[in-house]
Amino acid sequence: MADKYESQSIISIRHLRKEYPNVTPLRDVSVEIKKGEVVSVIGPSGTGKSTLLRCINLLERPTKGVITVDGVIATDKKCKVNLVRKKMGMVFQSFNLFAHKTIIENIMMGQVDLLGRSRQEAYDRGMELLRTIGLGDKALAYPDELSGGQKQRAAIARTVAMEPEIILFDEPTSALDPTMVGEVLSVIRSLAMQGMTMMIVTHEMKFARDVSTRIFYMDQGEIYEDGTPEQIFEHPKRERTRIFIRQLKVLHVEKISRDFDFPAFTTQLEEFGRRQQLSQRQIYAMQLAAEEVLMQKLLPAAGEAGDMDISLDAEYSERENLAQMRFSYGGPSFHPFGSGEDLSGRVIKGMSKETEHMFSNGVNHFIISI
Amino acid sequence: MKIMKTQNGNSLCLALEGRLDTNTAPELETVIKGSIDGTAELTIDMAALDYLSSAGLRVLLGAQKIMNKQGSMRVTHVNDTIMEIFEVTGFADILTIEKA
Repeated sequence: MADKYESQSIISIRHLRKEYPNVTPLRDVSVEIKKGEVVSVIGPSGTGKSTLLRCINLLERPTKGVITVDGVIATDKKCKVNLVRKKMGMVFQSFNLFAHKTIIENIMMGQVDLLGRSRQEAYDRGMELLRTIGLGDKALAYPDELSGGQKQRAAIARTVAMEPEIILFDEPTSALDPTMVGEVLSVIRSLAMQGMTMMIVTHEMKFARDVSTRIFYMDQGEIYEDGTPEQIFEHPKRERTRIFIRQLKVLHVEKISRDFDFPAFTTQLEEFGRRQQLSQRQIYAMQLAAEEVLMQKLLPAAGEAGDMDISLDAEYSERENLAQMRFSYGGPSFHPFGSGEDLSGRVIKGMSKETEHMFSNGVNHFIISI
Repeated sequence: MKIMKTQNGNSLCLALEGRLDTNTAPELETVIKGSIDGTAELTIDMAALDYLSSAGLRVLLGAQKIMNKQGSMRVTHVNDTIMEIFEVTGFADILTIEKA
């Protein structure tokens, strides 16, 4: 079964690690990418997304790990780099077109030098590609005469002309004026529809969601969550994915014990709310939630030992104008307002949209939406 | 929280300023217990009160119970958010409330 799975993979990565003297952008990445998959790689800046792409394309030498591209072990010292690169095109943020050559010459060069095509064949294929992306009349222009969006489309055409098995895109729209992002994305979108295998590092969330068959959410030097666009964008399983996807602003406090400085926290919560421009009522309700749950319920229940390991995330999603107070604490299963509705329970019920209690793996989660 | 106490014959006014919460509610409870004897009219002035939680509600309820036996109690200058707390907890029906 494993062999069959492996044989379908066009890229196979095993325990990939990349270290620099002061930083380790990739800690341990293992993943299989199959032919025809369109993988968008998303995540906060500095979490190894571009480094992953650059390692796959051997622009960076991995510190550890094995990368296999279409059956060729790319990380083998004896491997011919050009053999790997022939299977794989890469599109960069900064286009990387040769400034002293015309657009058509840029597209012909690799075909003639590396694929051994005649100049006529290379020209014909180049013109065909330029026409499909609406740049037929720019064939004889120099890169500097083109807009950023046009340059990036030409760079994609140059990559496609090399007939790669897979194309890697490293933030292809990040250097573009916002008005030009759409034209570049539509070219990538049409490649996806033709079945091209692609890996795209991008900050364009809507695009990633629409065009991809699979999403890698990268964080802390690993593929933190891997799933379909629906899984990642609608039902992220892990905490950091959720915070990133929902663009949450979070105030986190942990190790809340009987010595907790509640007045100071109240002030912190107020400042947090003001920064996110919450209404006075929302701030009030968040403070109430913290007080009723912590001071009236959890801390008295925790007792002297204080071993409930209580933490609290105050979260705000601007997109949904939804604030949530998310409490986590150790077992046994305990619903703060479970034993009949007392005054605290009535206050919370009256001032919140909903409350939810979950208990799994010895940890209670109590969530108040405001 | 600051508590300003004004006594006029057998009427007592307690003006609250700041936050009436788990930390400060015991203070108010102490002041009420210490000065409620012989009071026929108790007024809790909330003009400068920013915040009220269940701990404060419990103290108000205790005061109301005492005043039911010996006179009357009013809560005055209640702002919108605190009024909402009184409403969702049913206190609006128990206390005599005058809005700000």
